[in-house]
Order: sequence, then C-alpha cells, then structure tokens
Amino acid sequence: MAPLQKRAWWGLGIGLVLAIAFLLVFILKGGIETFDKDVTFRLIIDALLIGSLVANLIIVNLPLRQRGMVDERDRLITDRAPRVQWVAVILTLAAWTIALNEVYQETGLMPALLLYVMFMSILIISTLAQSLGILIGYWMMDRNAKNN
Amino acid sequence: MPKITNNIRRLRFDHNEMTQEELANKVGCTRQTIIALEQGKYVPSIWLAFQIARTFNVNLEEVFRYEE
Repeated sequence: MAPLQKRAWWGLGIGLVLAIAFLLVFILKGGIETFDKDVTFRLIIDALLIGSLVANLIIVNLPLRQRGMVDERDRLITDRAPRVQWVAVILTLAAWTIALNEVYQETGLMPALLLYVMFMSILIISTLAQSLGILIGYWMMDRNAKNN
Repeated sequence: MPKITNNIRRLRFDHNEMTQEELANKVGCTRQTIIALEQGKYVPSIWLAFQIARTFNVNLEEVFRYEE
C-alpha cells in the first residue's frame, strides 16, 4: 500500500470517528436549541470540528508537501480527489436544502444557527470526501489496469 | 486496445539484482509506483520513463514497448 493510501485510510477513519462524535454530542446534548444557548456545548462542537480539520491537515494534506512521500502517480490520484469532494458537497447541500425546506416551509422561519451547522457539516463531509477520493483513485487505477 | 509493457523487472535483476526500493530511490518515485509499473497497472510519464531508462543505461525502447 502506498504511504499516501495508508494516510488516506487513517484520515477517513479518524474523520469518521470525529464526525460520529460530533453527531452524538449534538444529539445527546439536545440539538439546535441547546446549541444556541449553551456556550460549553458550542465549544465542544467547535473543538470537534477543529480537531477533525487539523487531523486531516496533518494526516493527509501536509504529507503532500513532503519530498519523497508522494510521486507522480500519487499526485495524479490526489489531483482527481476533488471530484469526489465536489459530488459530496453538492449532495450534502441538496440534502440540507430539501430537509430544511420540508421542516420550515410552513413557518417560513429558520433558526439562523442552522447555517452554522450546515457549514460545519459540509466542511466535515468535504474533508472525509478528500480521503475517500484518494482511496477511490487508487482502487480505480488498479481496476482499470486489470481491465486493460 | 494497444498497451504499453515493460522489462523493468528483468532489467533490475540484470543490474546486480537491484531492489524495487533502490530503483525507486534512483528515479525519484515510491516503491509502490515501481510495483505498479512492473505489474502493468500504471503507465509512467515520459519524464519517469526516461529516468528509468537512464538508470539502466539503455534506450527507452529497451525498457518500454508499445503493443498493438
């Protein structure tokens, strides 16, 4: 397994753990209303968000700058990873738009805090999608070689 | 469909049984890329192809072959 591939697996694993932790803390603490009123809760969520971004930076992105860690084949794969990120972000935005519209259509009012939550979720998903994109890239390169 | 094959594995053994790691270090790529090349899973850039040929001190066509 290539060094970058290993790091992408680590990035995906740690990212998923943090995303699930984020979701669990959010649900267990009482959701959006508590998030609005409880400063400690907001700080925990912020810490989880920053933690996942920093973990991704250290595990996946910084090695891309290190000499010897990635070569032309790795760069080809990482250059294609943004396609997966793009799809993930678009699907997430679509899901949020549909869900919020269904929930708040009658009242016509939506808590402004939900925009913050939307942004955080898209950031986490984009980060996870980068690792996933790298792993998909390696898999497709192997698969295409077998087909040829 | 045409494909590009190579003799990298044979050339490595012919050059003092050079390891994949040693070849990777000489040409500036990872060992996994050398493995992928030898297994036909990856076609290198022209730059890497020339680096490999120069390492073995042979012409490009002695390393890589274009098959119809």
